[in-house]
This record gives sequence, C-alpha cells and structure tokens, in this order.
Amino acid sequence: MNETISRGLHGLRRLNPRHLRNPRLIFLFLFLQQDPRQIIEEAQRRTTSQSQRYEGTLEVMDAKSKITEKRWQYDRIGSHGSSKSVLRFTAPAEVKGVALLVVNHPERSSDQWMWTPAINRERRIALQDRSTRFFGTDFSFEDLEERDTNQFDYTLLGEEPVDGAGCWKIESKPKQTKVSQYTHSILWVRKDNYALAQIENYSKEQLVRRAKYSDIRNDQGIWTAHQIEMRDLKRNSRTLLKIEKLQYNLPMKDDAFTLQSLRRES
Amino acid sequence: MLGKGSSLGAALDLLLALLLGAATCAAQGYTQRGFLENRATVYPQKALNDRAQAVGESLFRYEAFYQPSPALQFNGAIDLRLDTHHQVERHLKFSWQDREQQRPTGEIRRLSAMYHKGPVTFEVGKQFVRWGKTDILAPTDRFAPRDFLTVVDNDFLPITAARLTLEKGTNTLDLVWSPRLTPSRIPLPNQRWAVPPDLPPGVSLHDAGVAFPGGPQSGVRWNHTGAIEYALSLYQGFNHLPSFDAAPRFTPAGIQVDVSRFYPKMLMAGGDVAIPARWVTVKGEAAHFSSRDARADEFALYVIQLERQSGEWFFVGGYAGEVVTREGTQAGDFAPDRGLTKTLLGRAAYTIDANRSIAFESAVRQNGDGTWTKLEYSQAFGQHWRATTNFTVIRGDVGDFLGQYRRNSHAILVVRYSF
Repeated sequence: MNETISRGLHGLRRLNPRHLRNPRLIFLFLFLQQDPRQIIEEAQRRTTSQSQRYEGTLEVMDAKSKITEKRWQYDRIGSHGSSKSVLRFTAPAEVKGVALLVVNHPERSSDQWMWTPAINRERRIALQDRSTRFFGTDFSFEDLEERDTNQFDYTLLGEEPVDGAGCWKIESKPKQTKVSQYTHSILWVRKDNYALAQIENYSKEQLVRRAKYSDIRNDQGIWTAHQIEMRDLKRNSRTLLKIEKLQYNLPMKDDAFTLQSLRRES
Repeated sequence: MLGKGSSLGAALDLLLALLLGAATCAAQGYTQRGFLENRATVYPQKALNDRAQAVGESLFRYEAFYQPSPALQFNGAIDLRLDTHHQVERHLKFSWQDREQQRPTGEIRRLSAMYHKGPVTFEVGKQFVRWGKTDILAPTDRFAPRDFLTVVDNDFLPITAARLTLEKGTNTLDLVWSPRLTPSRIPLPNQRWAVPPDLPPGVSLHDAGVAFPGGPQSGVRWNHTGAIEYALSLYQGFNHLPSFDAAPRFTPAGIQVDVSRFYPKMLMAGGDVAIPARWVTVKGEAAHFSSRDARADEFALYVIQLERQSGEWFFVGGYAGEVVTREGTQAGDFAPDRGLTKTLLGRAAYTIDANRSIAFESAVRQNGDGTWTKLEYSQAFGQHWRATTNFTVIRGDVGDFLGQYRRNSHAILVVRYSF
C-alpha cells in the first residue's frame, strides 16, 4: 500500500471510534494528511509500465467546428522521466511516415526530433519551439512530453469533482531546470484510482490549454483515459485523441527509439 | 521495359515486382504510401530558346516497405511521369542509373534491403543518403544529387550505395560506399532553364556529350547528438554537378565550340553544427572541396542559419558564402550550390490551421544582382487531396546566377491525391 494511504490509515487508528461515524471529520482529516507530491508520485507509480503501444485517432475541430482527422501509432519504452517514445503518423496519407521521437529526461526537458520522409531528414525541435502546435493539432510539442514529478513543485489547492468523480486539485509549477511554456498548471487527480481527470495549463495568469481525460478504463492494471480532449482556449479549437488497441508491457527494444530508427522505418 | 544495357535492371525490376506483390501475400509487416500529382506551370514571359509558356506534368509515386522480420526490411519506390514539354522521355522505360538528360518515364526511386541488429544498420541498394543540418544550402550533403531541370524547383535523386551505420549512445558513425556516380540532372539545352550565352556572330555551340567518370565514391560521417549537435564528414568521389570543357573548331559555317560535360574528382572535408540558443537555433555548416583535377576549382562553402518557431510561425534565415582557393581551367560550371552563395536566404511560413498554410521564401544576392522570391499557399481537402499554388518572381542581371533566369518567373498549381 502506498505511503499516502498508509499515513491516512495510521491517523484513523488513533481516532476515537465514534468520530469515525462523522464523515466530514474523516474527510477533513484525510485532506490535512495529503501531500500533493505524494499524490502525484502515487499517480505516476500507478501508471508506470515497461512499455506502451496504442493507435490514436485525432479529431481536430476548429472554431467553425470543421473536423480534420489524423491517426498515429504511439510506442513508448520506459516510464515518465526516463522514457522514450516514437509517434508515427499513419493518416492522412500525405503525412504517413512523419514521426516524432521524444527522449524524456528525469532532470530536464525532453529532446525531440521530427522525421519527415519527403526530405529524408530529421529536424530537432528546439526548446523555444515547444509551444508550437504539433501538426495542426491542439497539442503542443511540450504536451507530448511525459512529465516527471521531480521537475515540478506541487501545492494542494483542495478537492473538486470532475464529471462526478472526486478529485484532488493540485497546482504544479515547473522547477528552474524545466523549460516550459506554462507558468503553472492545475491538475485534477481522481481519488478513486489516481488517474488524471483534467489539466489546465496557464501562461502567466491566462488559461491557455485544458486537457480533459475521460473514458477511463483499467487496462492491464493501469487506469488509462481512452479519450483526451485538448482545448486551445486562445484559438477556440479542440482536438480529441481517442486511444485504441492499447497494450502495456509489450517487449520493445531500446534501439527502436533512436534517430536511426526513425530513418529505418520511413 | 528496361534501361539501356541493364541486365541487372531486369533482376531489379523483378525484385521490385516481387516486393510490390508481397502486399497480397503478406499484409503483416507491409506498408505503402504514394500519390498522384498533377502540376501546371505558367510562365508569363517567353524565353529566347523556349517559346512554351505553359507546362503540364503528372507524377505517380508509389512507395512500399516490407518487413519480414524485425531485423530485415525491404524498401521499394517507383516514379511514373508524363509531361507536355519533353522534359520527360517519350518512351516507357525504368531507369536505374538516373543518368538520362531528360526525366525517365519510369524511375526506380528506391529498391534496397536493410538489415538491422543492435547498434548496426546496413542498407544496400538504391536509396537516399542525406547529410548536413542546414536547409538553405547543405555543403556536406554530397550523396544527394538533384534533378535541376527546373532549377529553382528541384527534387533529390537517389543513389546506388551500401550504407553502414553504427549507433552508440549519442554518437553515430555513417559509412557510405557508392559504386558509381549518380549525376545531378541539369537543364535541357533547348529549354528555358538553360540560358544560352550571348555569342558573337559566326560562333555556335555544339553539345559534345558527357564523360561520366568511372570508379566509386565513399564517405564517412560522425555525428554527435547532445545539447549541441555536431558532425564531421569526409567524402571522396566526384562532384555530382558538371563542369564544362570547351573546344573551338573551325567549320565552313564559322566557329563551332564543342562543349562537353565532365564530373571532376572531389575530396570534401566538412562539418555541421546545431546550437539551440535561448531565442533561436543556430545552425552552421562548412566544407572545403579540393580536387586532383586541375580543371576544377577548389573552394569552400559555408552557411550560417538561424531558425525559430513561434506560435504558428516558422522562420529560417541565413547567409551562404564561398571562398575560392584555386581557380580551375574549366570553361564553366553548372553549380547551383555555389550560385546560391554570397546570398541572404530566408523563409517564413505560417500555419493557418490544420489544413492550410502559407509560406514566403526569398534569396537576395549580396550585391543585389539577383533576387528570387516565392509565395506559396497550400490547402488540404479531406483525407487525400491537397492543392498548392505558388508564385515565383526572379529578377536580376543576366550575369548573375539567379538573375540569368529573370525571364522564368512563373506560377504553379499542384493538385495531389495521396493514398
């Protein structure tokens, strides 16, 4: 059992049994015991896997509700701060083969390279370019990184339900070593399964992007959202990512996540 | 149908057919893509040697990849072309060597086998090899000949080669050996992109053909990827861009100058670097080219490029320079790479939304003798269709590399169906 929950139960055992009948008191007690970092670390621990593969369908809806569809295949080896991922477009036809390699680091921002088969070359996505939308979607290059808990400071803001599910509301601020387009983010973590329910990303005081996680299912013991809706509030557009054929802990090799691997599978 | 004297070609055609046929018997591990593109080009001005002002072209490209096992992959691609302007040959054949003056109706664009195990990747066959980091000009990109039939709208040509790549952590060693030169395709003498020189009365030019060199080319490149990326490269072989010899001959009609093309030996030593800075990414690339052939120039090319992506904007701009260290005895060169030096180049692109983009590109010679400006708008329709239109304006003095094409400003409409 994780440290956060253990600490909560330990506290309960010291209570007078009749206090246990008062749910408000229990709630207050648990709330006061929560350490936001521990919540996030537990959420991270629960989503840790050796690898992940899924097929994603992206529906990009602009301000006029015009829909554009794209598809990609996503492969990841490792988890969170030490993971590597390759995202390869499979549709529409004109971008088939375009790929993005993301190498995450526990102590700093990720390295990213984009491979374009039409010119047989990769291009490094510089840090200052990470706020750019990824291939016309509402995800920025930075949004495709895996967040490591150690790159952020956390503050528990309280609790707030999302779609009827009780959630911890936590503010995260990037540490100095982490270069981010966002000055801070607010995360909603579900209390029942520690799955992310929503993230709001802010630039200074302005809310710029909101990611909402839904259709959360237990896949191989990992609670995973099968739909992620990213809204760009500046552009009033949104992208819905639907995750299909999800598999965890497939055998994958490290050399499938290198610049050469991008070229090989072009 | 096969290219001239190509018994190897027959086998390769068969291999390609087998590769393409694999789709029916092995859906697993088989991927494909391609497009059909129709292009219309309109030139408002007539050229001295070419009165055509509208050109239509069609290109069908099919690429297939078959991976029978995780370690082995076969790659195949063909191009089929038609046009209205005789830039494409008029008889059906598949070209392997890419040494034709005109574009072949059929071209084996890629046909290679790739083996991969651990840090080793080995690819043999027809393939693309791209070196360098800069975009506006890449001096170290020596295994990348191009089709320069329409000089400013060019495309890369594949080469026949064996390529061994060793990847260890953040370092990559790339060894390339090519058994023979694949030359760049140059403008056709009777078309507008080959600008005839002003000749005195009684003097005429005669195409005396080409002398393709024998022998292989080879190169090695070490690339390091880190916070700063850098690479060193060495190439030994031939320039894929031709130089010209001229031999005057007295005939009853006057003086005839026999002009022949040759591809001088070349030794290149160069490097490239990419430095992500706070506001921009700085890229640099430089190479020195020497030759044992006294007819060829020895020179150095260098590029400094800055790029930045901001929101929906992408900017890239820089300067390309040249230093000549030895003048050769050749009569002339066709050298777009050197022709674009002493030049400021820039590109700004804006992504309007998921389907539409607009781009502006320009090249301005530092002495102001030549400018090239292009405005392009592109829009996708549904999952398969894309239309692109661009307007290119070229201005300058006839003695300048860009300026000589001042009668070739044009508009292009491209409609592509991708699958």
